[in-house]
Parts: sequence; structure tokens; C-alpha cells
Amino acid sequence: MSTSTTDRTIADILLPPESIPMMPGRTLVKEALEQMSASKLGLACIVDGDGRLIGLFTDGDLRRLLLRSQKPLSALFADDIIDHARREFTSVRADTSIDDALNLLQEREIFDLPVLDEAGRLQGLIHLHPALRALLGE
Amino acid sequence: MIPKIITVGGGDVAEVQIGGTLPLAFLGGPCAIETRVHALEMAERIGEICAALDIPWVYKSCYDKDCRSSENSFHGIGMDAGLDILAEVRGTYKIPVVSDFSDAAWAARTAETVDLLQIPAYLCRQTHVLKAAGETGKPLHVKKGQFMSPWNMKNSVRKIEATGNEQILLTDRGTFFGYNMLINDYRNFPIMLETGYPVCFDATHSVQMPTSMGNVSGGQREFIPHLVRAAAGAGINALFMEVHDNPNEALSDPNTQLDIRYLKNILAQAKAMHAARQELLQEWGEDRVHLDD
Repeated sequence: MSTSTTDRTIADILLPPESIPMMPGRTLVKEALEQMSASKLGLACIVDGDGRLIGLFTDGDLRRLLLRSQKPLSALFADDIIDHARREFTSVRADTSIDDALNLLQEREIFDLPVLDEAGRLQGLIHLHPALRALLGE
Repeated sequence: MIPKIITVGGGDVAEVQIGGTLPLAFLGGPCAIETRVHALEMAERIGEICAALDIPWVYKSCYDKDCRSSENSFHGIGMDAGLDILAEVRGTYKIPVVSDFSDAAWAARTAETVDLLQIPAYLCRQTHVLKAAGETGKPLHVKKGQFMSPWNMKNSVRKIEATGNEQILLTDRGTFFGYNMLINDYRNFPIMLETGYPVCFDATHSVQMPTSMGNVSGGQREFIPHLVRAAAGAGINALFMEVHDNPNEALSDPNTQLDIRYLKNILAQAKAMHAARQELLQEWGEDRVHLDD
């Protein structure tokens, strides 16, 4: 087993777009939660029509939303996911080194790093657990 | 969100725009098309009142009353005869007209005549009905079912939008409050406005007591003015009322239609309340009492 990450980039360990729950902003909260559950990633990536990432919604955001919102659950389920998504988030490029990405996860105490191209389109995701599996499995 | 404006009519008839900060619009007329003469007379009389008050309006009447409580109730004059009468009303007075339809197969034919196509409250979540309506390309007047939560009207909106139609007016006509009784929840207006589409208040059906009289619906008309003033202050873009010159003898909804002798009084107050609300918002700013974040 090796954990040497110095010379490698996150392109080697990122989750590809097809394994990430990506959805338009008008997805209902209920539908977003279903997709998040199916992916077992605990987050939703909200993208615009060109595939640019415009928001993130995580399990933690859901927890905070439930504690804050006074809406009936049936009304909350019918909201658009973009209305509750975080518009500001940390992201990286695919040529970021694995060390830098892991440091970022640690410093910001987050589990996910969206990987974007220069236009802001979602290229993949660094999620802590799959990333660790990829590294430890080497 | 930028409020959407819908445009009803235009061309051969008056154009009525509904939504945003535009003046209050009125949708009104007899519940059912009874006779040609009656339809024309009502259009003329309501038109005179709206002209005097400078209220943009759309003539409403229906050719089929599929939601009657009893099979012995008047079911309507029929599609072909009814649409011919609506076309004559439209052509004679140069006003846009609205009528509903109860079968998806009737949508296209109805839309050939009307300027605004109405989806009955009981059918507001029926996919075939909504898609048939959307595909006509006409502006749509969708009544919130008495059984529907206001936030769930978004599903109906999305079904229509899937056809490419984005000309939608959403109406509250009361919500079931136990058996044979409706109640108005004015939170419905800001909630349905979140869809981006304009909202309307149906005052005469809101005072209905559904099938409360065994085989016919009752109603308490005396509450119409109170509910109208409240709705106009709660952010509606349009007001809907069924109007008749002799409600007690009306062939449909005799217990809820408004007697035309009270129409001017109520419309004048609705217009004033609507304008007052807009002035207050201009002076004090939009409501931002408890917005998240």
C-alpha cells in the first residue's frame, strides 16, 4: 500500500460526472434528496443548462435547513433545490495535486471538492471517502 | 424572480395583460352560457361597468358544466353552440373571452374560440388535461383544486411548461374545510406567486358550500365583498367572479353567482384596494419579514 501523492493530480482519483448527482436548479427538494440517497454521496450538484456548477446542497445543508425552516415538510419538499443550495463553494481544477486537494479538505473541514474546468463546468468530484479508498487501495 | 406577465386577447379584441404591478384585471360573466340573448346582454352590461371603472376584463362563461352535483342539473348548452355564442360575444363587444373544458379532447376546439383557456379546479392535476391545454398555445387559467396545497400547484405548472406554454394564471377558489365547506387561505397567493406566474382570486366559488344541499351546492354570497377586499390587499393580479342578472334563477350555481347590481360596488372597491396595496409597497418597500438568509 502506498499513500504517496506528491506527483499525482486529482484527475487520477476524482469521481466522474456520471457518478455524481447532477441536476438543474428547478429540481424539487424531494427529487434531489432521492438522487442524493441513490448516489450515496450526500450531496447534490446543481448545474445550469451548460453544465456549469451553480450550487451545492449537502446532507449538512439539509440538517441546517430542517432546523431553520418552519415550513410544513410537504411544502419544503416542493421547493426548488436551488432555493436552498449554497451558491458559494470551494472548488478545484483537475490539475490540482492530490496533496493540495487533501489539505483543502482538511483546512475547510469539508467532505467534497467539485472539480471544474475553466468555464466552471463540472468535471468530477473529490469526495473524501472514495478518494481515501483510491489512495489506500493503491 | 421577475414576475411573468400574461397577455390575453389582442388583435380583433381588447388586449388584457395580467401580472406584476399591472392594474387589477377582472374575469367575469355568467357561470353557464344559458342563451345567446342572455350571454350578449350580460356581456354588454358587465362591459359598461368595467368601462366606467376602467378595469380591463375578460368575459367568462362555460358551455359544459361537468362538475354538477346531480345528473338532473343543467349540464350546459354544448360545445358547438356555446362556442358560437362566445364567438359572437367576442366579435360584438371586442372583448377577450374565457371558458373551461372538461375533456382533453375538447381543448383544441375550445382554444379556437377563446382567448384564455380555463382548467377546472377538479381537473387541475390531470396530466392529459393540462398537456392538451398547454399544447393549444393559448394562455391558461388554472384553478387550484379545493384539495390541493398551494405549493403543489407547481407540479401542474411544470406539466404545462413541458409543452412550451408559459402563459399561466393561477387561481384560488377556496380549500376544503371539512365536508361541504370551503375556507380561504390567503397565504396561497404569495405561495403560488413563487412560481413566477400571476395569481387570481375566484370570489364567487370561494363562498360555495359544495353539494351542501343534497344535490346542489349552496353558498353564502354575503361574504363576497369581505373576501374580495381582503384578496385585493393580499397581492392578487386578477379577480374572478361569476355574475348574473337573476342569480336565484340561474341555471348553474344559483347560490353563489353575484347579482350584477352589486358588481360595480365590489369592483370599484377591489380596484381601490389593489391600487392602495401597490402604493403601500412603493412607499414602504416589498415585504421582507422572514426571508431565509
